[in-house]
Amino acid sequence: MGLSSTTTSSESVRLCVFDLRRGQHEGQELDKILFFFPADCPFSTQLSVIGLSEGLITFTRIFSPEAACEVIEAERHSHVFYQAEPDIWMVMIVEKNKEAEAMWRIDALQKVLSEVHSLFVMFHGSVRALLEKDPGGGLVRVHLHSFIMDYLSDFFVGKKLHLPSFRDCLKERGTIQMLTVSREVAIGVQSLVKVVESSCAGSTACNSLVLFQDLLVSTTLTPDDTVNLFTYALSRLTPRALSSVTNTWSYLRKGNTASQVATDSIIGNAESALNASRDTSPSRQRHRYHVPRPLQQEKWSKGKDGFLCTDIWGSQNDDLAPATPTVWLKQTGERAYLCVYQKKYLTIILLIPVTSIINGEQGISIVKQQLLENASPKILKVEEKLTRGWGGDNAYHVAGYRYLLFDSDRSISRASPPGKVTTLTKDSLLALNKLREEVDLEKSRTKQDDPSREKDLELCIRVKNNAWVIARVTRGKELYTVLEKANETLLYASDAVEQFSTRNGSADHWLSWWVGSQSNFSNECAHAIDSSTERHTDLCYYVSWLALSKGTVMVLFLWTKRIIVISEA
Amino acid sequence: MNNNNKMGSDPIPQQQQEIEIEGGGGQLSPSSSGYAGGIGSSSNSNPSSEIESSEIQHGENNSTSNGVVYDSASWVPGKRHDDEVSSTLQAIISFVENGGDCVNFVRAGKHQLLVILTKSVNRCFEKNPKFDMTPLLGGTDVVFSSLIHSFSWNPAAFLHAYTCLPLAYPTRQAAGAILQDVADSGVLFAILMCKHKVVSLVGAQKASLHPDDMLLLANFVLSSESFRTSESFSPICLPRYNPMAFLYAYVHFLDVETYLMLLTTSSDAFFHLKDCRIRIEMVLLKSNVLSEVQMSLLEGGLYVEDLPIDPSPRSGYLSPHLGHHRPGTESPSRCRDANPGIGGPAGLWHFIYRSINLDQYVSSEFSSPINSSHQQKRLYRAYQKLYASMHDKGTGPHKTQFRRDENYVLLCWITQDFELYAAFDPLADKALAIKTCNRVCQWVRDVENDIFLLGASPFSW
Repeated sequence: MGLSSTTTSSESVRLCVFDLRRGQHEGQELDKILFFFPADCPFSTQLSVIGLSEGLITFTRIFSPEAACEVIEAERHSHVFYQAEPDIWMVMIVEKNKEAEAMWRIDALQKVLSEVHSLFVMFHGSVRALLEKDPGGGLVRVHLHSFIMDYLSDFFVGKKLHLPSFRDCLKERGTIQMLTVSREVAIGVQSLVKVVESSCAGSTACNSLVLFQDLLVSTTLTPDDTVNLFTYALSRLTPRALSSVTNTWSYLRKGNTASQVATDSIIGNAESALNASRDTSPSRQRHRYHVPRPLQQEKWSKGKDGFLCTDIWGSQNDDLAPATPTVWLKQTGERAYLCVYQKKYLTIILLIPVTSIINGEQGISIVKQQLLENASPKILKVEEKLTRGWGGDNAYHVAGYRYLLFDSDRSISRASPPGKVTTLTKDSLLALNKLREEVDLEKSRTKQDDPSREKDLELCIRVKNNAWVIARVTRGKELYTVLEKANETLLYASDAVEQFSTRNGSADHWLSWWVGSQSNFSNECAHAIDSSTERHTDLCYYVSWLALSKGTVMVLFLWTKRIIVISEA
Repeated sequence: MNNNNKMGSDPIPQQQQEIEIEGGGGQLSPSSSGYAGGIGSSSNSNPSSEIESSEIQHGENNSTSNGVVYDSASWVPGKRHDDEVSSTLQAIISFVENGGDCVNFVRAGKHQLLVILTKSVNRCFEKNPKFDMTPLLGGTDVVFSSLIHSFSWNPAAFLHAYTCLPLAYPTRQAAGAILQDVADSGVLFAILMCKHKVVSLVGAQKASLHPDDMLLLANFVLSSESFRTSESFSPICLPRYNPMAFLYAYVHFLDVETYLMLLTTSSDAFFHLKDCRIRIEMVLLKSNVLSEVQMSLLEGGLYVEDLPIDPSPRSGYLSPHLGHHRPGTESPSRCRDANPGIGGPAGLWHFIYRSINLDQYVSSEFSSPINSSHQQKRLYRAYQKLYASMHDKGTGPHKTQFRRDENYVLLCWITQDFELYAAFDPLADKALAIKTCNRVCQWVRDVENDIFLLGASPFSW
């Protein structure tokens, strides 16, 4: 454990979690702190960070009760706030440094905070619930510490923490990337999903996710749960994650032994600091609680039967077989067993409600057995079809465009492949980053003025280096484009984006998702027809179609979010 | 504001200091003499409502070092905020400063606080930590308040340009000639203004007057009632001209709206300036300049409805990248006729054209549907945002911007010679809007003799 290793990173990033309901009396302020990175930061500094944050929150609540402090921009630092749960706040303080390219989009940093919290809740339940279980706070501190440190380990490049910067502005954290499949394959996948989910005995509803490579093919979970499991799968479960050579949180990190050592030493160091310094939580506590570390690296492996296994969750008391992991699903508010089956590049995640399995591990192995028996031929067939249709890492590259397309309602995004994004100049990326910041602000303003309204916005800027950076926001869908080679007029640039969004925004892109959420679709149509009488009816930009097993439904969208034609074939 | 010394008596030290603070505060830019942007009225007695200014100039945040703060929460020093809010805010600011950092702004929902402390005030406090600024700022409320207000309506505040009253070229020439006469006799600047618009302006050799200083001057004169009643001689600091020194301003209203300002470095020039003013006034009356000024005030300037279909014989002109002549589209002159009541052609509602070389801008008159002051204010904010976005400190200035939201289509185009900001109906057709912008530029060029002050420019940069 290299003792000097934390000092460099502690300068540039601080991250804390605290509870405003705790430590109300003078002298007890330390009790508020549930997590602090770096852990070897002196208490006086920790207290001053939390004191300032609390002061700001209290102060801004006076005039903005519904949305308290989001950010403090100081000359040298940004303080990013995120209220994870009522009165549970996460604050990240990042140092601005132009030379080190430490230029951020506040929204992207907030998404990091929200992501780590969502994942935490998925595995451990809410922070508040853990606090209620153990009012002393020891339990939640130990959980938060190992979880967040494991999460942050993915951001380390050597000894430095690399948070998403302007170079990541064509990415959207907390979204799913989908595989586009033909209608035939989609129907094949649907029937596979039915078979897989029926492996669970009885009438209980199982859920599943199907991934191919690092892309989602199908899900029967709600968007929230899908995002969490997808994020987890990409970081720890997919073949790419298992081979552990790349990293999903950040473009930058290349997993190598050196960085792994550094990370371990940082975590180890922080742990020892935590243990040594906090009187209230002696190292005994770590052993008193069994703390699974779902984000620990290189802990998953593929078993002989094709199912992935891990010893993260310990083992059964009387048995040496590792325990099956469980996760909390938001949708049901229940725990579910997490079973992962992998066939080459196809990953099937099956979620079985804990309550439906009476006899624990024994019951799960029966489900696994059934899945293999019932679904093997279908899995083989779907895997073959998907492999045949696989377009490689650059499948979604569109020549001439660097883009990010995302649907915030469904948390789906698609973007130019990272390798292509790196060809953009720094100036273009900075300009797009700035543009996204502007759009973020506009969106949040609109939301606060009227939560039911969604922002409609189109923004094309020709920047200094003659590149066009373009944003289009409509009906919860956002498109960001950089056109560097388009040395032409505004009309040319916007026509180009028009063509692009008609092609790529059209439904075969969103198809698989919609097949999984047909009920949502009819609501949407109803809503859209209601508002179609509004005045934007002469603008028609956006064409979309949806395939259902019955046939094809043709949907014609207005760019300004109204449907005008729905025809069934 | 009681700092107008009548009849040329020497300014008393107290007043000098007062103005120094005001001017010095503006060293970074004029806006900082207001210490913050406007919420329209700083006389609002509820301090929290000052913080609650909901319109935020986000893109401009980076420019706080430039001192430019538009329409954000205002914090008026010298104003007593004896409540929890002010002490909390002070604690937060000093807390961050103790950490060797400096708060730029805080965002909470749609609210945003902006914190600026200007350097010269700092310097003052460094010299004497017990320095009490309150009495110096006493009485300046009206000036500050009016300045802050101008940040919610006056484009000069963010464009850093001034605007002229539209006048026939010979009329402005005549006014300029007589001003030039007095400038040659030891007057540093001679400025004839009508409300916030310049009629004519002349400077002594090598002296140049920054548009920001003109904004401060006009605000100073127009916000103090006493200038209107009699001729005045007052010390004044023009921070862009020289932040550490005084000038003396002789101010006289020639009629209700038109006033003459003669600036000098000499504190005992009152009687000389008075003579100059008498000469100027005589000439202006004789040559009918004053009545033409009144006429122009009544008639207004450019109306979008009047945008010529075919502005000049050079209508074939196409700009480098705003315009894009697509085959198959109709010729420019086939556009829909101007339709009174719904703005100009192609849904043009309003525009601002800023000439970069002249440091002047021209803004079209408000016409339907931008009628109410609420709508005008909203458009003003949209322009501010557009300006901030185009002139982003890190990545700007950009060249072109097209922005469509539920309120407007906004187009901005920046070249070496000019900046054009135009607002259209949100449903405006993009191609037509671009064409219309080209026509606006052509139109402005065609009438530039009447709307701008040309030649004999005092600007030496």
